[in-house]
Amino acid sequence: MASNSKKVLFGLYNDEEDLKSAIKVANEGHLDIMDVYTPFPVHGLDPVLGLKESRLHYLGFIYGATGATFGFLTMSWIFTRDWPIMFGGKPYWSVPAFIPITFEMTVLFAAWGMTITFYTICGMWPGVKAKTLDDRITDDKFCVAFDVTDASEGDVDQLRGFFSRTNAAEVNVKTI
Amino acid sequence: MNLNTQFVFESKTKRLLYGGMALGVLCLLYIYMNDDAYHTRFWSTWLHHAVFFSGISFTAMFFLSGQITAFAGWNTVIRRVWESMSQFMWVGIILMGLVVAGVWGHLHHLYHWNAEGVTDPNSPHFDKIIAGKAGFLNPVWFTVGTVGFLAVWYFWAMKLRQASVDQDTMETEDFKYYKKQRKWAASFLPLGGFLSTVFLWQSVMSIDTHWYSTMFAWYSMVSTWLGAISLTVILIIYLKSLGYMEYVTFDHLHDIGKFLFGISVFWTYLWFDQFMLIWYANNGEETIYFFERMNHYPVLFWGNLVLNFVTPFFILMRNDTKRKFGTMFFVALIVFFGHWWDFFYMIKPGARTAAHEAMELAEGKHHGSSHETAHAPAAPAAAHHAEEHTAAPATADTAAHAGEAAHAEAGHEAHTPDAAAHEGASHGEGHEAAAGHHGEEADESKSFKFGYTIPGLDDLGVLIGFLSLFLFFFFNQLSKSSLVPLKDPFLDESLHHETGAMIEGEEGGAHH
Repeated sequence: MASNSKKVLFGLYNDEEDLKSAIKVANEGHLDIMDVYTPFPVHGLDPVLGLKESRLHYLGFIYGATGATFGFLTMSWIFTRDWPIMFGGKPYWSVPAFIPITFEMTVLFAAWGMTITFYTICGMWPGVKAKTLDDRITDDKFCVAFDVTDASEGDVDQLRGFFSRTNAAEVNVKTI
Repeated sequence: MNLNTQFVFESKTKRLLYGGMALGVLCLLYIYMNDDAYHTRFWSTWLHHAVFFSGISFTAMFFLSGQITAFAGWNTVIRRVWESMSQFMWVGIILMGLVVAGVWGHLHHLYHWNAEGVTDPNSPHFDKIIAGKAGFLNPVWFTVGTVGFLAVWYFWAMKLRQASVDQDTMETEDFKYYKKQRKWAASFLPLGGFLSTVFLWQSVMSIDTHWYSTMFAWYSMVSTWLGAISLTVILIIYLKSLGYMEYVTFDHLHDIGKFLFGISVFWTYLWFDQFMLIWYANNGEETIYFFERMNHYPVLFWGNLVLNFVTPFFILMRNDTKRKFGTMFFVALIVFFGHWWDFFYMIKPGARTAAHEAMELAEGKHHGSSHETAHAPAAPAAAHHAEEHTAAPATADTAAHAGEAAHAEAGHEAHTPDAAAHEGASHGEGHEAAAGHHGEEADESKSFKFGYTIPGLDDLGVLIGFLSLFLFFFFNQLSKSSLVPLKDPFLDESLHHETGAMIEGEEGGAHH
């Protein structure tokens, strides 16, 4: 796995506004940011980073629609073909009675589908070791990270200069 | 960006609104003159709009109070819109006041519990079920539950508005007025939450006097709430188009859009719950409500779901549609019209039945012959009611669905001997005519009719009239103070509000 490990130069900021203005400076200098880590979702970060709109919600819709179809068709099959039971004189195919189950199946499929998809995208599964640059980025620090595995001495100096200009509280190097 | 701007209520807009009101008055007159003997259409139309627009101003106040209590900061820039909407409640008192006067003076027959003798055990019109509810369904409670509660709410709305306007003139940095607002807002929540249920039971649910549903107040209050939210969207977009409120951004619109979407789904949830529980339990006295509406008012029934669930759900599901002014305006128009339609659906079929019941009473007909009451198993002489019940719908159906005279006659004959057998000696004389009349009435009360089965053009005219009235008072209030609460502690947060949504191709997203 050694070939996959990266040498990362990262700066920690104390405030999300510092982080956002630092990213703007990095964009102006055409610096190639590897990733940004924050303890909570920071509003307005995605446009500054130039990230594309996530396509995750299309999958969410597909999972939900699958669940709705599955729930409704299963109920229909059970109560008209497989095991028809008369409830209080209602017709076998009683659509209003199927709606709560259809709804629940929609939610169940969407929730499980999205959870599994999200974990897969993030490379998370049981037993995986977390590649955390610094424990404090899950608490109160905001981090900008650069991949410097193949960077020259001059490039690294330029990045360090960038961090000091944008008031980073700390600058560290770590191989993950 | 100058925050201290005030809305100018131009005379051009005023003239337009006067025109709208005049149209409304003309349409009301037209409805009044082409009406049945009890002016059922006129009164039910009046009640419909009085409840709908009072409800909108009430829910604007309720929503605002909830936001203030929850320390919500995003909405501060649009708070004055809700404050101004809530001030309409005093006009609502007058509008509902006419309905109350009608109850006391027996000017209308919207409420069957108000009919002569229904609570008197010695009267031939005695109705045991209504008598059991008479402690609540009576003119005194009706007055308290409608205009009384509106007056209480209006007092709170006035106080909250006063504290907010006074805050603008505050000279030193102080939380005095803010704390005052919080007190009025927080105390309004239980007051509005509990009393609104009674308001809606009295004014709308009691039209179907024998029927009740524990979901009803929730469902109908949420309906007025959506009216308020959609009207907020429409008004904000209108004000922006005039050049006001340039600080209201996509992000504010997005959050109102989330409410429009979420509360629409909540409305559907309540609507469906009410429907499904009644459908599942299958009790005659409960299902009659939906049986009537599904079979004789199918356009109202299904249209309600299409307008208020399908449209907002599928259009507003995407993130970006909530951030487009055009799309939001379109959806808000549909949802506003949809909840007006929803109240039409709640009120009209019941009012039509109540009027027919009242006419039967006036003609000396036995009370039980109306189809609604016939379902009440506990009514006196239940046995003959039940028999009559089986006969009455058959008559109605035959008469309603067959154009041929022969069928209609057959219907009469089927009904007449049946009813004759049950009529007591005291009613014997006028009976032949009355029974004959009943067959025609059943026909009349179920068949297609503009203003009942679907809203007619004159109903739309009345809607425009009442909406103009509402907007007139709204703009008038709005022009009385600055468009934003200038000294509100949350103003800064609201001006910098971001939802964090990132939409490709939107101005906000093109940073690089």
